Amino acid sequence: MQTLRYILKRILLAVLSLFVIITLTYFLMNLMPGDPFMSEKATEANRAILIAKYGLDQPVYVQYWRYLVNLLHGDMGTSFVLQKGRAVSTIITDSFLVSMRLGVRALLIAIFFGILLGCVAGLNKDKAADSVIRVITSLGISVPGYVLAAVLMMTLSVKLNLLPVSYKQAGGSVMPIITLAMYPTCYLARLTRASILEIMNQDFLRTERARGMSEFVVVFIHALKNSLIPVITYLGPLTASILTGGFVAESVFNVPGLGRYFVSSISSRDYTMILGVTIFYSALIVLMNLVCDILYKLVDPRITLE
Amino acid sequence: MKNLHLKLTALAAAAAMVIGSVPAASVFADDKLSIAVTGGGESSMVLNTSLTSALNGLSTARHLFEGLYKLDANNELVLGQAEKVEISEDSLTWTFTLRDDATWSDGVAVKAADFVYGFDSLASNGGDYSSLVSGVVSSYEATDDKTLVLHLAFPCAYLPSILAFPSSYPLRQDIVEQYGESYATDPDMAVYNGPYALTGWAHESDLTLELRDDYYDADSISVGTIDWMLITEDSSALSSFESGDLIYSDMCPDEEKPRMEGNGLYYTSGNNNYCVMFNLGPNGNEVLKDAKVREALSLTIDRARIINIRGMNDEMGKTLAPSGFVNADGVDFTDYADPWVDTEDYEGNCEKAKALLAEAGYENGEGFPALRYIVSNDSRKEIAEAIVNDWKEVLGIDSITVEKVENFFASRSTGDYDLSYYGWFMDYTDLSNMFGIFVDTANANSFYDSADYTAAYTAAISTSDQAEQWENYKKCEQILAQDLPVSVILHSQNSYLFDDANYEGLVYSCGTFVFTYVTAK
Repeated sequence: MQTLRYILKRILLAVLSLFVIITLTYFLMNLMPGDPFMSEKATEANRAILIAKYGLDQPVYVQYWRYLVNLLHGDMGTSFVLQKGRAVSTIITDSFLVSMRLGVRALLIAIFFGILLGCVAGLNKDKAADSVIRVITSLGISVPGYVLAAVLMMTLSVKLNLLPVSYKQAGGSVMPIITLAMYPTCYLARLTRASILEIMNQDFLRTERARGMSEFVVVFIHALKNSLIPVITYLGPLTASILTGGFVAESVFNVPGLGRYFVSSISSRDYTMILGVTIFYSALIVLMNLVCDILYKLVDPRITLE
Repeated sequence: MKNLHLKLTALAAAAAMVIGSVPAASVFADDKLSIAVTGGGESSMVLNTSLTSALNGLSTARHLFEGLYKLDANNELVLGQAEKVEISEDSLTWTFTLRDDATWSDGVAVKAADFVYGFDSLASNGGDYSSLVSGVVSSYEATDDKTLVLHLAFPCAYLPSILAFPSSYPLRQDIVEQYGESYATDPDMAVYNGPYALTGWAHESDLTLELRDDYYDADSISVGTIDWMLITEDSSALSSFESGDLIYSDMCPDEEKPRMEGNGLYYTSGNNNYCVMFNLGPNGNEVLKDAKVREALSLTIDRARIINIRGMNDEMGKTLAPSGFVNADGVDFTDYADPWVDTEDYEGNCEKAKALLAEAGYENGEGFPALRYIVSNDSRKEIAEAIVNDWKEVLGIDSITVEKVENFFASRSTGDYDLSYYGWFMDYTDLSNMFGIFVDTANANSFYDSADYTAAYTAAISTSDQAEQWENYKKCEQILAQDLPVSVILHSQNSYLFDDANYEGLVYSCGTFVFTYVTAK
């Protein structure tokens, strides 16, 4: 009952948060110089026609109110630039499904290998395995995504001809997944290692070993479970960001996902797309944080949700 | 502990299987060719011809739709949806008779009313080319289903170029009204009267164009399917081209061009210019309204060095128009018109510039005000900095700063700059398209306004006599060289990648490309 009340309270807070985000985004967006209809060949007369057509000649507060009303009816409008004429909700749905397909796999890889490598490193502190993993994870965190993507493309596609460049071809999702998973895998490995090192010196593990538990059970049932709290904290925003794709991976490998819109909608002043992806991403972040809070409770029943 | 490691290894191996994925590759069972190409990303793919303006969308439209004229396999303008045209003696009335076998992809015959609706939509929708037809044609009417009459405002020899341009293509009123804002945003939300129909559109990924069996000239076309990839990254496009996935790419990273020369990289006349623009409007610095200052700045630009820095086979900017326009005597317009600057005598130009600047009251650059030179991207910033360096070295002006601005067009259109990058890419190969911009879109072009220039331009486009026309365009060049709303630096070459080892027959016109006539070698 207490958990249910907590969830309802969080949902109400989420709605309030989204309202604040929409309001701030709307007015900040309108402060940006330019509009969606600027181009090399646009005349003032033509711009005026388009601005009037989309109601951008109205006062900002009128536009804002109209947007809110439409949003409550499930209408996010149509894209002005990036997919001119298509409904923003359709664009987000289509592209999110693509990003999610890649993101889920990247996330699973990141969680699995990140925690696994973290455990191996933590259990072998200052040994060769630990050193190797620390070097690899440091590299993985430091190398920018676009460098990794370019290196993968040049080696695996162009030089070795092992994988296709384009996402749409067979095997085309392997390189985007690696690009998406690299940073979170390495970050999770370091996070897990630090947690494991902290937890392995705790008295209760010595007690478990003394009770005759195998090392596997001690590590994976007792130590790992107790070291997961910081990992779960990171997993919330990570899940939201990785499921919505990445600008670099999607641009370089031509993945028709949602990630590229976070940048391109702003640079092209595609107002409806800016608002659409902001609302969607914010809602996902709020949801994931809520899921994390509930996971805390599952991992450590002593935590109370209030 | 060893046992634990074994278990960890087994888990790692199992997890590696998670990576398995992947859609199946497309296979086309057809006796016609299947090709894959790219010309840019999704945002450039607007297929409503009354609104489209990006080269990628215009190129696709050339395959899906067809106007009264079209480009043939030799890149010549020939009648398309029209079977014949009758031109009145005064060249002011053009009467087109449509082909009997011209149909839309839903089997409905193409009617003259579709062109009327297309012209009306173009004029009213606010697209970049809204005045393309109305700027030349004063009125038009469909006298019956197959007859379209155009009444011109002036004798216009380049009318076929306009009527072959996608913005002037017909539109089906019933289909446009049925889908409204969403018209032509998905394959089944439009009908097509060109050689190809759109059968697939995976947004942000690719479009599939398939040859229409009922297109009147389908038998003579070899390419059955075009997979039109939507790629935004130059390096990705190059990688796909090199791996053999694409036979054509409009994109190639600049730094890779030397390597790709001889490996499929082609340079063609860019039909453009690359200039420095001076803000002559109310927001521009007063110093730039002094013609002597503008001339001094223009003379000091070391064009040969700029071309060398770019390393992209550019043509020296001597006139506003690029080379490639030849008259009946075989003379190129750039040789016919007077050059703005004697590019062979840079030292002499510099001395003259110093004297002009001193006359303007800024000897050795002393007291020259701070100016802002805006550009839109990093490569243009590099060139702008090289130009500013010329001004510093030769004229002693060290108060001009180069700035890459986020929303370049907004800044330029509102006059929020002193100096700016400026370039014009022609839409069709007629000189009117290069000179008209200093009449039609003055706000985007230095806020320049000259009655003499407008008179010369109007005289040029109002005659069908080429000698008279060229003489007036020459006058336009002289006026611009004197007034200097811009200083021409160079004319860049367009480049593209084409698999010429295996294919031939690509048609390329002012940045747009046609694959309809491609054949396998």
